[in-house]
Amino acid sequence: MPADAPGLVVETSHLTKIYQDRHIALNDLTLAVEPGAVLGLLGPNGAGKTTFLRLVLGLHRPTAGHCRVFGLGMHPNAAELRRRIGFIPTNPQFPKGMTPIEYLDYIARLFGMTRQARKPKLAKLIPAVNLLPQSGQPIANFTPVMTARLAVAASLINEPELLIWDEPTHGLDIEARRSMLDLIKTLAAEKTMILSSHNLSDIDEVCNHAAVLSKGHLIFSGTLQDLKGRIRKNHYEMDLEGDQKAIAKTIGQIKTLKEVLSCTLRHRRLDLRLADDVANTGVLAMILQTLFDNKVQLLCMRTLGMQTESAYLELVEREDQRGFARLYDPLQDAA
Amino acid sequence: MDSTATAPPPAMRFNPILPYFAVLRTDFGQTLQSWVFRLWVIVTLITAVGYWLYKFGIHREVGLVQSASEQTGILLRTIGLVTLAFVSLISIVAVGGERGTVADSILSRGISRHQYFLAKWHSRTAVLLGMFSVLSLVVLLAYHFLLEPDVTFSGGIAATLLAMAMLAAVVAWGVTIGALSNGTVIGITIFWLVLFGSLFLMSYLPEPFPSPGYMLAQLRSILRGNYDALHVVKVMAIFLGIAIVGGTVGLVGYSRKDV
Repeated sequence: MPADAPGLVVETSHLTKIYQDRHIALNDLTLAVEPGAVLGLLGPNGAGKTTFLRLVLGLHRPTAGHCRVFGLGMHPNAAELRRRIGFIPTNPQFPKGMTPIEYLDYIARLFGMTRQARKPKLAKLIPAVNLLPQSGQPIANFTPVMTARLAVAASLINEPELLIWDEPTHGLDIEARRSMLDLIKTLAAEKTMILSSHNLSDIDEVCNHAAVLSKGHLIFSGTLQDLKGRIRKNHYEMDLEGDQKAIAKTIGQIKTLKEVLSCTLRHRRLDLRLADDVANTGVLAMILQTLFDNKVQLLCMRTLGMQTESAYLELVEREDQRGFARLYDPLQDAA
Repeated sequence: MDSTATAPPPAMRFNPILPYFAVLRTDFGQTLQSWVFRLWVIVTLITAVGYWLYKFGIHREVGLVQSASEQTGILLRTIGLVTLAFVSLISIVAVGGERGTVADSILSRGISRHQYFLAKWHSRTAVLLGMFSVLSLVVLLAYHFLLEPDVTFSGGIAATLLAMAMLAAVVAWGVTIGALSNGTVIGITIFWLVLFGSLFLMSYLPEPFPSPGYMLAQLRSILRGNYDALHVVKVMAIFLGIAIVGGTVGLVGYSRKDV
C-alpha cells in the first residue's frame, strides 16, 4: 500500500529516532496500518517497539521521517488526533489520591468531554470493566488486575477509533489474561488496534497483521499468515508410540524417501522436514502409510512451519546474521 | 416507516479548553495536599511566630521596640528568603515530577503540550502566590494589632504585591527549568545557578533599575507609605515580564521535548 494512500490509520515514512546522538532506537521505519487491522508489534527488548508507539502518539518527536495518524501529521500538540486514540502504557501509573470514578472523570476531561457526555460514559464503563465494587476506593490499593481494568476503561472512554495497547496482558493471571484477549477480539471488530507484546501466543490469537522489529529495524511487515507461512514450510513434529524396533525400522524407511530432507527421532518425537517444492499431502500420506504398515501409532502431529514463535525467532536470527547486507532493502532481501 | 426507530447517537462533542482546566484543577488540589506545600506553610508560620517571640522577648527584657514597618519588612524578607527553597522545589517538580509514565498517561490523551504546561504553570503560581498573600496578610494584620502601627494600608498592599511579583518570576522560571531538565536534582541545581547568577547580574543594574535585594531592603519605607507608586508599578511590571518570558521559554521548549 503506498505511503500516501487515503484512509490509512497510521503511516510512517523513514521514521528514525536517535536519542542524544548516542542511541539509535528506530531506524528508517516505513509502515502502514489500514483501518480495521489488528497489528501485533513484535520484537525483543530494546527493539524499538515502545519508541515507535511513543512516536505514533506524539510523545516523542522523530529525528527524521514522519508519522501520520488519520492522514494528519502527528506532533506533541496534536490534541485533536489523540482524541481519536485510546492508549494503555506498559505499566499504567495514576495520579495519587484518586478513586476510579475521579480518575475516569479526569481522563474524560483531558479529552475535552463535556459533563453531559462523560458522566454517563464513566457510569457505563465502570461496571463494564467489573470495577463497580471498587469504584470509590483509592487506586493506590488496587491489584494489578484491577489496575489493568481501569487502564482499559480509561483507554475506551473517548470512544477512540485507534487503540494502542502496550503489553496489555503483562502481569495478569490466567483468567484476567483470557478476559483481556476476549475483549481485544470484541473490540477488533470495530476498531483498529496496535498491540505490543512479548507473548507470541497472544499475538497469534488476536492479531491479523504483524510487524517485527529488531534493533530498531523493521524486519517484517505483513499479515500474520505471511509471517507464519513464509518460514519453515513442510516442517512437522510427530509423537509416536509403538515397539522401539518398529519405530526404528519406520524411521529408516522414511529416510529413504527423496522428498524427506531430514528425519530425526528423539524420545519418540519425530522431527520431519520435507522439501519445499513437494506436494506435502502426498508425502505425508506415504509416511503415514509407512507408520501403519509397521504398526506404529501416531499420538500427535504438529506443523512447526506455521508457528509464530518459530517464524519470529528465525526472522530475528536471520536479521542478526545479515551483516552488511542490511544496507540493502531488508524486507526485499528477506523475502 | 418504523416510528419507533431510534436515532443514531449524536457524535461526541469535545470542548478544546476543558483539558487545560482539568489539569489546572487537579494540580491545584494535589499541590495543596502535597507534603512540600504543607511543610512550607508550617515553616513559614514557625518563622513568623519565632520572630515575634524573639522581638517580644527583646521588648520585655530590654524595652527595645522596633516599628511595625521595620519588623514587618524584615519578616517578609526573611519569609521570602527562607521559603525560597520550598517554592523552588514546588515549582520545579510541577512538570518534572510527573516525568515518566504518569506524564504518558496524561499527555497521551486529548491535551496539547502547550495546554499542559500552561495549566501546571498557572496552577503552581496560583497556589504559591495565593498562600503567600494569605501569609503576608496575617503578618500585616498581626503587626497592626500588636504594635503601634506605622504600616499604611496602601503600603502593605504595595509591599505584598511587589513581593508576589518577584515570587511569580521565581515560580515561572522554576516550572520552566523543571520541565526542560532531565531530572529533579539537575533541575534544582540549574535553578539555583540561574537564580544566584541573575541576582548577581541584577545587582549591577544602573540606578533606575533596582535589584531585588535593593527592593527588599526598601520594604520598610514602602510599608510606611513612603514610595513612588509609579516606580513600584514599573518594578512589578519588570518582574512580571521576567515571569512571562520564563513561561514562554518553557512553553516553547517543553512542546519540543520528548517525555
